[in-house]
Amino acid sequence: MRPARPVLEPRAVRTAEFAADRIAAIHRCADVLEEIGAVHPAYRQAMLARERMMSTYLGAGVAVPHCLDRSRVLVKRDALAVLRLPGGVDWDGRRVTLCVAIAARGDGHIEMLAALAEILLDPCRARRLREATDPADIAAMLCAAGELR
Amino acid sequence: MIRTVTIRSAAGLHARAAATVAAAAAGAGIPITVRRTGRPAVPADCPLALLTLAATPGTELTVEADGDDAALDRVAALLADPDADRG
Repeated sequence: MRPARPVLEPRAVRTAEFAADRIAAIHRCADVLEEIGAVHPAYRQAMLARERMMSTYLGAGVAVPHCLDRSRVLVKRDALAVLRLPGGVDWDGRRVTLCVAIAARGDGHIEMLAALAEILLDPCRARRLREATDPADIAAMLCAAGELR
Repeated sequence: MIRTVTIRSAAGLHARAAATVAAAAAGAGIPITVRRTGRPAVPADCPLALLTLAATPGTELTVEADGDDAALDRVAALLADPDADRG
């Protein structure tokens, strides 16, 4: 059964973020996931640990900060946070302008990653996603493509 | 040559696993493709393409290449790795 609240709420979409580096960007992702009550405060360190192990750069200027499987107990409910970084952030040698932070307890995020990957493989849709400035538009693009279950 | 594998990692074929598989496939020197039943085959050396398979635990995938059994076996073994989600 799907949860009553959407996985990506408009208040979890931030379109004018700034971060000096990818660590700062992940802290902002953690801030938002905490603000909306999706994760335990310790999720922040879990995201940083995952990033240290291997970059969460996905492609086409998009990174997907999240945790390792063993830290999923820190997730209170499945949710996404989307942070647009118009100035760009160096992500281990790649330039990132959009973070899609994932908090997922089960394997439902695999469907969301598939949907996001489909968008990113299409240069036109990828650009539309990166350049969208209306939280509702971003939520619509990601939710139309798929959502966490 | 074809290998059939079942995703065993509890987290499915997630971002890090896809990146690991893609790196192995890119180093194989021959084109390797992965297919989920009823869908088009995707290049194994592209992490994004692998993620579009939406392979959750239990999903069966076929891995295919012309020749080089060893490279094909390596990629198939990584896809089937039950510990792909461990740190």
